[in-house]
Amino acid sequence: MNIVSTYTWCQFAPAFALVGLAALLILADALLPKLPKRAFAFIGAMGCFVASYFLYTGSQPNFLGCIAAVATGLSILLAFDYTKICCESIAGGSNEEGTGEFYALPLVACAGILSLTQARDLVMLFVSLEVITLSSYVLAGYFRRNQGSIEAGIKYLVLGAMSTGILVYGTAWYFGMVGTFNLGHEVVFTAIKGGVAASPTLAVGFLVATAMLFAGAFFKIGAAPMHVWIPDVYQGAPTPTTAFLAVASKTAGFIVLCALVLPFAPFCVPGSMIGKLLIWCFALVAGVTLIIGNMGAIRQTNIKRLLGYSSVAQAGFIMVFFLNVNSILVDLVGQYLLAYALATLAAFYAVAMVRTQRGSEEIAAFRGLGKSNPRTAFLITVCFASLAGVPLTMGFMVKMYSFVAAITAMGNWAGICWLLPVMVITAAMGFYYYFKVIRAMYWEKAEPGHKALQVPVCTGIVLTLCALALIYLGTMPLLVSMG
Amino acid sequence: MNMIHNLPWLFLVLPLLVAAIDWLCLSKHPRLAATLSLLSAAGTFGLCVAYLAGLQTGTPGIYTWMPCSLEQLCLHLGLVMDPLAMRMMLVVTGIGLLVHFFSIGYMKGDSSNLSRYYAGLSIFMFSMSTIVLASNLAMTFIGWEMVGFSSYLLIGHWFNKASAADAAKKAFITNRVGDFGFLLGILLTLGFFGTMNFADMGGKAAGIAPALLTVTIVCLFCGAVGKSAQFPLHVWLPDAMEGPTPVSALIHAATMVAAGVYMLVRLQVSMGTEAFTETACCIIASVGAITAVIAAIMAVQQDDIKRILAYSTLSQLGYMVMAVGLLAGEAAMFHLYTHAWFKALLFLGAGAIIVCCHHEQDIWKMGGLSKRMPLTVLCFLMGTCALIAIPGFSGFFSKEAILDAALAKNPVFFWVGAGVAALTTFYMLRLCIVAFLGSARDHGAEHAREAGFTMALPLIILAVMAIISGYGFIANDLVPFNGFHAHGFELGLPFYVSMGSLAVGILLAVAIYGFGGRTKDPLAGNCISKALRNRLYIDALYDKVLIGGLQQGFAHLMQFLDSFLIRGIICQGIMWFTVRLGYLFSAIQCGSLRAYTLVSGIGLIILILLLAYQF
Repeated sequence: MNIVSTYTWCQFAPAFALVGLAALLILADALLPKLPKRAFAFIGAMGCFVASYFLYTGSQPNFLGCIAAVATGLSILLAFDYTKICCESIAGGSNEEGTGEFYALPLVACAGILSLTQARDLVMLFVSLEVITLSSYVLAGYFRRNQGSIEAGIKYLVLGAMSTGILVYGTAWYFGMVGTFNLGHEVVFTAIKGGVAASPTLAVGFLVATAMLFAGAFFKIGAAPMHVWIPDVYQGAPTPTTAFLAVASKTAGFIVLCALVLPFAPFCVPGSMIGKLLIWCFALVAGVTLIIGNMGAIRQTNIKRLLGYSSVAQAGFIMVFFLNVNSILVDLVGQYLLAYALATLAAFYAVAMVRTQRGSEEIAAFRGLGKSNPRTAFLITVCFASLAGVPLTMGFMVKMYSFVAAITAMGNWAGICWLLPVMVITAAMGFYYYFKVIRAMYWEKAEPGHKALQVPVCTGIVLTLCALALIYLGTMPLLVSMG
Repeated sequence: MNMIHNLPWLFLVLPLLVAAIDWLCLSKHPRLAATLSLLSAAGTFGLCVAYLAGLQTGTPGIYTWMPCSLEQLCLHLGLVMDPLAMRMMLVVTGIGLLVHFFSIGYMKGDSSNLSRYYAGLSIFMFSMSTIVLASNLAMTFIGWEMVGFSSYLLIGHWFNKASAADAAKKAFITNRVGDFGFLLGILLTLGFFGTMNFADMGGKAAGIAPALLTVTIVCLFCGAVGKSAQFPLHVWLPDAMEGPTPVSALIHAATMVAAGVYMLVRLQVSMGTEAFTETACCIIASVGAITAVIAAIMAVQQDDIKRILAYSTLSQLGYMVMAVGLLAGEAAMFHLYTHAWFKALLFLGAGAIIVCCHHEQDIWKMGGLSKRMPLTVLCFLMGTCALIAIPGFSGFFSKEAILDAALAKNPVFFWVGAGVAALTTFYMLRLCIVAFLGSARDHGAEHAREAGFTMALPLIILAVMAIISGYGFIANDLVPFNGFHAHGFELGLPFYVSMGSLAVGILLAVAIYGFGGRTKDPLAGNCISKALRNRLYIDALYDKVLIGGLQQGFAHLMQFLDSFLIRGIICQGIMWFTVRLGYLFSAIQCGSLRAYTLVSGIGLIILILLLAYQF
């Protein structure tokens, strides 16, 4: 085995470019202290957008990588409008000192995600994943004057370390059982070719390794039982970082999961024992994730915590796609992630705007927006409606695909038919808690002293674009099918 | 691209567009809205005249609204352009145009939102045209509900007046009762005939059991009972007189209430008369006859000029329905057509009188109007002559046609018709004598002046139509019926009987009311009069038994189920449960790192067991 010969340097060109940009920014931070930090945010975001453009138009379009790059760019850009809070929470007052890395580190993490999309063996997978995770630890605890941020950083570090440990342990088992780090169906085939009878130890050991590797991926995407870090860290971390964790980092998790699951594709057919085990495992994880995410979200009053539970719930819907392991799996996951990313990022922009001007991250701070900022309120409504899955938004389309996937899977494995009612009920719950925000905006009176919001330029543009994209992508398939 | 064959769609598109513009853009510009509505009515009328004069544009396109893999289940929107439809369109657009014109004078100085009024008229023109031109029952039903809606809007135009708002509601709800049956009938038709298209229904009735046919036809007839205000659903029409008088003329006299008759005749033409079984015919004719009789009786003791005309409309509609039940569709449509002109005339005349008497509607407070507004009164008298069927006026020919048909089929209906004719003569002469002769009994009538040009012109045109429209040379070309041909008139039993009832009516009226000298109704004050004034207590019965008893009881039951079962147990119970469960799940998220790692660890062990244990 030769890890280096598996890859070409070209594959990692976007990742290198982003790392280079990050290095330049950090140098600039040290050498050009006069340069306003907003410029850092702008340059970093542009770098990500350029990278995503090349990923999208490249010879091998890298859809998931593209989503991650755009998401990273948008979460850096979110910091552009968030500088006031950044300065207050990092250096105190309006001092910009020491805030430079906050804009550079996401670029490094994004480079990790991009190299992750190229990984075809466990070593590359692990290294890329740790690049993301290590940057995220720093980012989560970056607001050192904010107790919540420090707590989030510590919790993320401890729980992340546990997940890394599990991942490394799983990798070791993997190597021990099959003698290679490569991922591919020939490896899976070697491990379980003779079935249980021929080499029981090998097969069982291989599955234990797989389970632990899955757990590592589940940690990133926030699927049960590795979701525990999400609410606390999302609530406590700086909002731009939360946006990054909720979208880019989750995308990375799904890239890992796809890479781990796809080698099993030939075995995930009706009648296969290992297929049945895998599907049951995914169905249970999806079901439990859906229940925990949606149930937990119901009583939340803090919008970042709500969005945390929401991200768990949405991960549950994406997990359903993994019940059909086939070639279109990555596309479906990508579609869902796109709908989720557009709506969630826009939501975080709104949260950041409200936090900056009203000083609160509670849902109550959104009260009265329907009266004072009708246009902004409408855009936010579109995003939350899409998260809930209201027809004519993209959220509806992708949720429908998820239901279709569940029904298709039931055709192959009738035993998992309990999943469909769980999905229906939890989707209905989604309406309850997403509409809490909409209700606050339109049906509740603004708290005294809360004036109309001034919508910053970037926030305005991003909110509008995301809402328009959600509506366009949600209605276009209908128009196309009407002919 | 040659779209000329789609020209007839303008009949629907034009008024709909105008209604939308009036409603959405012109609410502050009533004059512009009125002009637009008038132009759209004139446009459709012109188009209609052009088609009747022989314009050919080919078959209009069919729009498939709801495609379906089964052809007969598709919902098509198509237009029928046969003489029955096109000549009916002439009546609708012609009277519509005159009413639009009349409205400009009538509504002048009204403080309500006139754009809303004209938008309502336009949307009515659209809906009525939809019914007339519909190529299938589904489209008829769409128009059917739309006229109900526009009628609701226009009756309740002065919605600040409680009685108008109530009347609008009553009309709408009563119609819904009939429409429910109509909908059932449409579904039964689809089931038994296998199609809703009028063009495909022919000849299919032979293969259907008579009992099923009867049920289907009676259900469809329910729609007509509601829309054409037949007994027992006649109660809404007199109340509908709360609307502006031009609306009463257009909707509640000439066109919409005749839609039921039109629909029945359309069915008779397309299904063939064999589809109308003996039982069904008997039911239809009896309902018509009962309506004709009770409405005429009730009209005898009304004092409101519009209500007298409303009961008269009911009674004449009864005639038409009776004719349909006697399988004399031709006579029914003939009467519909003459009635439309002279009843519109009577209503518009009444409208002119009401405006000129400063919104006084009680005939006992009028009097002596023949001296103050001779032109209006003259036109009104022309309408009266047509209505009471004086030979030579249009109403005479059509009533004669119905009486002929009744005598040929079933003499009972013939004598009923003759009796109603006598009553009609009596109550119309009572109206004319009291309102026009003698001297003014109130200030309003004292200061009455002749109506202005916009009101007089439609009256004159309609008066001319009321006189001449029954003669063969006009009727043959204009009566909405395929291949209508006026009978040669001959002396015979029907003629002598109707002359007799005319004479009886005139003599009685003159004997009781004299020549306008009376100031009080000599027939009033006894229990019969009281019963008639109270509409034979039918409305009160509905209020007490149906609404007060059954409906309220049912409503209480539903309310109990709703508040206890659905809201209490199902909604709140589930909500309570879910929220509690949510608390439980978020309680796991207590913030303690050790708890988190424990949960993750246990989860991981379960995951490993799940995947690997079974090996």
